[in-house]
Amino acid sequence: MSNRLKLTDILVTIVISIGFGILYKIWGPLYYAVKPLGIHIDQLIYGMWFMAATVAFLIIRKPGVALLAEVAASSGEFLMGSEFGLEVLLYGIIQGLFAELLLMAFRYKRYDLLAVSMAGISSCIGSLILDFYKGYIGDLSTWNLILYMAFRFIGTILFTGVLAISIVKALEATGVTNLVRSSSQKDFNSLDQ
Amino acid sequence: MNISFEESWLHKVNPALKLITLTFLFVFVVMIHHLNDMITFTFTVSILFFFCTGHSYKRILLFLIPFLLVFFSTAVSMILFGKGETTLFKLGIVNVTEESLFRGLHLGFRALVFAMMGMTFVLTTKPVLLFYSLMQQLKLQPKYAYSFMAAIRLMPIMFEELQTILDAQKVRGVHSQKGIRSLLKDIKSLPIPLLSQSIRRAFRIAVAMEAKRFNSTNERTYYYHLGFSIFDLLFIGYFILMISLGYLFATEFPLFPVTDVRY
Repeated sequence: MSNRLKLTDILVTIVISIGFGILYKIWGPLYYAVKPLGIHIDQLIYGMWFMAATVAFLIIRKPGVALLAEVAASSGEFLMGSEFGLEVLLYGIIQGLFAELLLMAFRYKRYDLLAVSMAGISSCIGSLILDFYKGYIGDLSTWNLILYMAFRFIGTILFTGVLAISIVKALEATGVTNLVRSSSQKDFNSLDQ
Repeated sequence: MNISFEESWLHKVNPALKLITLTFLFVFVVMIHHLNDMITFTFTVSILFFFCTGHSYKRILLFLIPFLLVFFSTAVSMILFGKGETTLFKLGIVNVTEESLFRGLHLGFRALVFAMMGMTFVLTTKPVLLFYSLMQQLKLQPKYAYSFMAAIRLMPIMFEELQTILDAQKVRGVHSQKGIRSLLKDIKSLPIPLLSQSIRRAFRIAVAMEAKRFNSTNERTYYYHLGFSIFDLLFIGYFILMISLGYLFATEFPLFPVTDVRY
């Protein structure tokens, strides 16, 4: 079984991710609309931005998909003229990379809530590292920083874990995932022989 | 959507080079810790954003509105809750200090610069040419580049489909119930049909593309050829000149009496 990404996997991943890119773009205004409230309510919805990676991975289940998905989603968001500008591309790359590393640690064999939540949390850590340099979050008051991180972690588990799993379950029920999974793994191989 | 604009010199800069330059500048901005330097750099970028994109001023100003919101929302949480010693204002948990005020402003300018740099890039770069340039100059594998281009072409269809689904749901009275459970159902009722249709369509297109050997790794020919020109030098030269001038100006005539905004 070849685990390399075929054009089909790449295109499906990118199309899913561009869809998420549109969602990310809509999410931006919502995010900075709740942000001035000050006590970091915005961080609860931050997890949405890690979702493309886990949803795409759960659908296609191949190495490299999570990274590609997050990069594609962020470039989609970027090319639509995101308010966050260039920042989204770099955050996308780092978040995708961190999610990918965690899925790799599970050897791409686990597709359950725990694995994807952990991947989300890994992305979340990546984004916090960037925030530390870019947003000086280390210079927030301690209680405020803890609130900031806790809200972001909670949001991450809700979006990248629970919501991603339930979306993919619903997609499995429509039968569309079989199209991508089986054709790239079993059917094509049997044709090749 | 038909957006008319004039081609400016920024359109003629090589897209891959433009992207790499802006990425370097991103890292550069993250390493600016002095508010005065940040302000002069904001000025450097805004000249390009306001005068060099070839789009009408009305449109540019329209784009600026959300950027100002981002400026405000980024600045405010650091201003209200940042660390600092010289207290200016205190009310309950809010503790505005001189240090946090300047740091908040600094972060606001930083967000504004990122937004303007990104928008300048997007307004002056055609996505198709960007991916051709990435293939030719940065050796991105064609199967990735063409997948990206195909996916971008699918975006208008996705929007159309979204509208169709919304209309269909309205006609069938899907959103008539109230309560948390039906709200959750509503949230899921949109992405599932949208995603499943997109996956099906992407799969069909991918099969067609594979049949036409788009995934071939052999030497291939290109419809568009992108190279380098004098405008690339101009682009890089502009930043080098303006950053040096800005640095001199900020040291000679500091606007704010702060040096490092970090605590």
